[in-house]
Amino acid sequence: MDQHITDIKDPDIDYGSEPENIPLHQRPSISIRAKIAISFSLFFILSFTVTVWSYWILTKLEHKIEFLEIADNYMVEIQQARRFEKNYLLYRTDLDDALGHLKTADKILKNNSEKIEKILGPNHFNTMVSYMSKYHDQLILLGAAENDAAKEAIVPSLRQFGSQMVSFATEFVEKERISVTRMFLLAKRVPLYFMSAIFVLMVFVLVFLTRQLLLTLNRFMEYTKRIGEGDFSPITPARKYRDEFTKLAEAFNHMIKELDHKHNVLLESHKLRAIGTLVAGVAHELNNPLNNTLLTASMLTEDYEALSDEEKREMIDDVINETERAQRVVKNLLDFAREGETEMALLKIDKIVEDSTRLVVNQVRFAKVDLTLDCEPNLPLIAGDEQKLKQVFVNLILNAVDVLPPRGKIRINVKKDKVPGYVLITVEDNGPGIDEHIQGRIFEPFFTTKRRAKGTGLGLSVSRGIIKKLGGYIKLKSVPGKGTVFIVSLPATDSPSEIMSK
Amino acid sequence: MNEQPLKIMVIDDENIVGKRLKPALEKTGDIVEAFEEGETALARFAQEPFDIVVTDIRMEKIDGIEILERILAKSQRTKVIIITGYATVEIAREALSKGAFDFIAKPFKPSDLRQIIERASKELRS
Repeated sequence: MDQHITDIKDPDIDYGSEPENIPLHQRPSISIRAKIAISFSLFFILSFTVTVWSYWILTKLEHKIEFLEIADNYMVEIQQARRFEKNYLLYRTDLDDALGHLKTADKILKNNSEKIEKILGPNHFNTMVSYMSKYHDQLILLGAAENDAAKEAIVPSLRQFGSQMVSFATEFVEKERISVTRMFLLAKRVPLYFMSAIFVLMVFVLVFLTRQLLLTLNRFMEYTKRIGEGDFSPITPARKYRDEFTKLAEAFNHMIKELDHKHNVLLESHKLRAIGTLVAGVAHELNNPLNNTLLTASMLTEDYEALSDEEKREMIDDVINETERAQRVVKNLLDFAREGETEMALLKIDKIVEDSTRLVVNQVRFAKVDLTLDCEPNLPLIAGDEQKLKQVFVNLILNAVDVLPPRGKIRINVKKDKVPGYVLITVEDNGPGIDEHIQGRIFEPFFTTKRRAKGTGLGLSVSRGIIKKLGGYIKLKSVPGKGTVFIVSLPATDSPSEIMSK
Repeated sequence: MNEQPLKIMVIDDENIVGKRLKPALEKTGDIVEAFEEGETALARFAQEPFDIVVTDIRMEKIDGIEILERILAKSQRTKVIIITGYATVEIAREALSKGAFDFIAKPFKPSDLRQIIERASKELRS
């Protein structure tokens, strides 16, 4: 019945820029389970990477340290060789000592060629070997030289190759030492970095997931509240992807559809109940014009000859007027009881309220309640459904009648609202008032203070639905012991075109 | 029919009722006064008692039951006839238990009321 309500968005919910408009079943699917699985996989991949990396770096370090040990031995040997070379040049000691050390150095290189090559690369290794063999060649030449002059001629090239050989090796050993230090430092720090990364990731995932879950849960709580208040528009939670919540939303929507259907059945029964109440009163109301007509017509036939033309005319006019009066009473009830879809029209609110008071006139009279209606002149028109608006006011008046003792008073006021562009209707009674602790629940569906079977508890919730749909509001002020006033505010309409948009 | 004319009071806030019942009931030679408000009717009754009071049960300020009580309190012999919107058992029982002579349901013909008044006048004169 109130399908149009679906367009109303709750201002309390932040809809944001999220894909509210995309139908649930068209959203790409990533379940919460998948999200959790992805998070765990991320953890695993990260830990795995770090472990593999650590293993790799430690292996590399192992090789480098091995290399450094070999290099150290090698360095010792070639330095020894150079020392004996110098001794030979100075004191002509045995050159074989130098050659022996060089041989050992060469053995070290040859035996560990694979390991050294791994670190230095084949080019540098070959350079190293070639420097050493060149130096070796020079040493052999030196030993073979026949005289001092010939020896002196060889010395510069011998020194050059010797220092080249040593400095080349020293440079590499130094470089490797620095690299090893760096790698140690890295191997020490990476686990710390890793731990921090894991921590940040964990916090992020935890915060993100729980925030998302909590926000969505809150949103679902809002939905249940909204449904509780009688808004049966389907829910479209802001989920970018299809997940468990989307499935929950679909289940909700199914439930809402069923509820809406049952609610409509209830609304119809509520209206029927109101009609039932009114019919008794209206039938009563019919008796007066019927009685006037019957009395007048009877007297007209009875005294036909004796009556003057003028008297006859007056009596016939009375019959016509009273028949029309009866017609109005019937029409008013039929207008109210008419079944059908919402019909928006430009309406005079004062006339709507007045018709409503007329519908309940007998209930009011029977309860010996005093009802007064004050309408401000020149009220703007409003756009609304006549029948539904009457339902609201009839309902408010009957509620007041129900709680008022004889001689109680109902004052209805129709005037322009202080807020420009709105019309304000107040229905005030001096009844017992409504306890503060139930004032908040009074608009809830099925909430009733009336004895069982007397009230459905739907009247005010239905009324609120009707008024809300027209862009207005209904609220109440009540002081226990003093009375209650229901305040209805409805937007005024200047142009008929606004009707179409509602 | 040389009997003393009866004094009849008709109270109904529908003015057509008084307008039509006055000539209808005066045909029997009785004196009829019509009122639209209970207050003025009771004030008039206070000046001099009437023999028969025909009153509508539902009226704005004072309803028919109250008029019945106040009239019987003043004049026990007065016959009060209640006009009801429609005859419910409760209203009829209440009216009769409070001393109404009879009741008549709307809508009725003048002749229907005249029959009741005739019975009432018989009782008054017996």
